[in-house]
Amino acid sequence: MRPILAIAKATVGEAIRRRVLLIMLFIATVLLFVAPLLGVLSQRSEQTVLTGFVLGIVQLSSAVIAITLTVYMLPNEVERRTIYTILSKPVQRYQFLLGKYFGAVAALGLMMGLMSCVTLVEFGLIQHNWGKGIELLQGIGMFFIQMSLLASVAMCLSTFIAPLVNFFLTGGIYLIGTLGYAFFDSFNKNPNAPPFSKALAWFVSTILPNFASYNVQNKLINPDSVIVDPVQYHINAVIYGVVYITIMLIGGMLIFDRREV
Amino acid sequence: MAAAIETKKLTKSYKSKAHGMVDVVSQLDLHVEEGEIFGFLGPNGAGKTTTIKMLLSIIEPSAGEAYVLGKELGDFDVHKIISYVPERPYYYEYMTGMEILKFYGSLFGITDTARMDMLLEKVNLHRDKTKTISQFSKGMQQRIGLAQALINDPKLLFLDEPTGGLDPIAHREIRDLILGFREEGRTVFISSHELSEVELICDRVAIINHGVIARQGKLTELLKGGRVELSVTDVKRELLEDMKLPDSNIHQTAAGLLFDVPEEADINSIIDGIRAHKGSISGVVPRKKRLEDLFVETVNAKNKGDNRI
Repeated sequence: MRPILAIAKATVGEAIRRRVLLIMLFIATVLLFVAPLLGVLSQRSEQTVLTGFVLGIVQLSSAVIAITLTVYMLPNEVERRTIYTILSKPVQRYQFLLGKYFGAVAALGLMMGLMSCVTLVEFGLIQHNWGKGIELLQGIGMFFIQMSLLASVAMCLSTFIAPLVNFFLTGGIYLIGTLGYAFFDSFNKNPNAPPFSKALAWFVSTILPNFASYNVQNKLINPDSVIVDPVQYHINAVIYGVVYITIMLIGGMLIFDRREV
Repeated sequence: MAAAIETKKLTKSYKSKAHGMVDVVSQLDLHVEEGEIFGFLGPNGAGKTTTIKMLLSIIEPSAGEAYVLGKELGDFDVHKIISYVPERPYYYEYMTGMEILKFYGSLFGITDTARMDMLLEKVNLHRDKTKTISQFSKGMQQRIGLAQALINDPKLLFLDEPTGGLDPIAHREIRDLILGFREEGRTVFISSHELSEVELICDRVAIINHGVIARQGKLTELLKGGRVELSVTDVKRELLEDMKLPDSNIHQTAAGLLFDVPEEADINSIIDGIRAHKGSISGVVPRKKRLEDLFVETVNAKNKGDNRI
C-alpha cells in the first residue's frame, strides 16, 4: 500500500503541473464563467441552456483531461527511465500501475473539484439558485465516476498501445459508450435485427463501458430518461463503475506484468 | 570472496522481423565479487543495459541463471539491498532534492529525515536542498541520483553511465563518490563508455560485444603487455638487430634510434647490451597499455569474427 500511495502522490504533483492540462482547465473555467451569456442565444429556457452548457463543458473538458493525462502516463515513465529507478526498489509492477492510476484519478478529482466550485459559484452566487447548483454537483460527481472509468480504460490500453493510438481509441470508446450506447442497446434487444448487426450491438452494449448511465443530469443527452429510484440508480451506476474499473486495472496489471519495458 | 553477482549462461532473446530470434545477450557468464568496483564495458547496443535490466529483474532472461547477492533473479527481497541509477536519470522536476529523497525513501518505508540530510551532505547538495530538480545542473541531478540510490543503504549499486555528459569537475565529484562507496564496503557495478574513468576506479572489468563477453578479469592483468621505448644514439641499427630480442622493433628517428620492447623484457640487460655496443641511452619511456587500447582491440577482434580472445 505504501508504494502505491507514494507513487500516487508523486503522480498528482506532476499532473497538476502539466501545462497542457492546466491550459485545458483554464479554458474550461473561463467557458464556465461566460456560460450565462450564452443563454440569450437560445429560445429555450435560459436555465436549461445554462445547465446543459455547464455540464457539457465539465464533461467534455474532464474527458479530454482524463484521456490526455492517462495515455501518456506509462509511456512517459518508460521513456524517461523513471520506471527503472522505481522498479529497482521494492515496488511491484502492479503497485506502480495502481499508484499511477490513483494519482491520475486524484489529479482529475482536484481539477473537477475546481470546476465544481466554479459551477457552484455560478449558480449559487450569480444565478441565486443554490438548489440547482447542488443538484449539478451530484451530476459532476457522476461524471467523476465516469472519468475514473475512462481513465481506467486508457490506463489499461496504455500498457500495450502507443499513446497517440490510445488517445483516439479511448476517445472513440468514450464517444460510443456515451452517445451510441442507447442506440446499440436497443438494437441488441431488437429481435428483428440481422445477426451480424445484433452481434455488433451486443459487443458494444455489453463489452464496452456504458458511459451513458452517468449522464443522468444532462437532459440534453438523455431527454427521456426517467429514473424511478434515483438512489438505487446511483448505487448501481457506482457499482458498475467500480467493477468495470477493477476489471480494467486487473487487465492492465496482467499485461503490464508481462510486458518488456 | 563471495560473489555479489554471478550469472551462468544468462541469455536474452528477442524476436526480430528480419532475423527471427536474436540473442541480445548470449550465454553471459559474469562474476562480480563483493566489495569491488566492476566495470561493464561495451559499445552501443552491446547488451549492457539489457544485462542490467535482467539483474534488476525488470526483464526476464530467456535462458540461464543469475544470482544477485546470493539470491536468485526475481527474488523480491533483493530489491531492499540493491540500488540503481539509470543513464541520464530523470527525476520529477517539481520536487526538491529533499522531496526526491522522501519519495524514494517512502518506497522503502524510510522516513528518517536526518539520514536524508546526511545523504544530501554526502553528495554535496545540502545547500541546494530547497531547489527544485528543474533548477539542478546535470552534475547535481547525477548526485541526487546517487543520493536516492543510497537511501536504503544498499550493498550493491548498479550505475549506468554515471559520468555520461558531465563536465570534468562533475566527473571528479562522481568518481570520488563512487570510490567512497568501495571504502564503505559496497559493491558497485558500473556500465560505462568512459574508459579513462573506468580505468581509474574499477578493480575488474568485463567487455561485452554483440551480447557476448569478450574479456573479463582484473584490470591489472588485462592491461599487462605494455611497451618500453628506449631512445638510443651513437649506435648502428645492425648491431641492435643482432641482439635478436623477441617482439621488439627498431625505428629510425631524427635523433637516433627508437628501440621498442615489451615491458616484461629485461630492460636492464637490454640497456647493458646497447652500452656494450657503445650506444648511449638518451631516454627510457614506459608506454602502459591503456583500457582504451584493450577495448578497441577486443571489440575490433570480435567484429572481425576472431573468437580466440
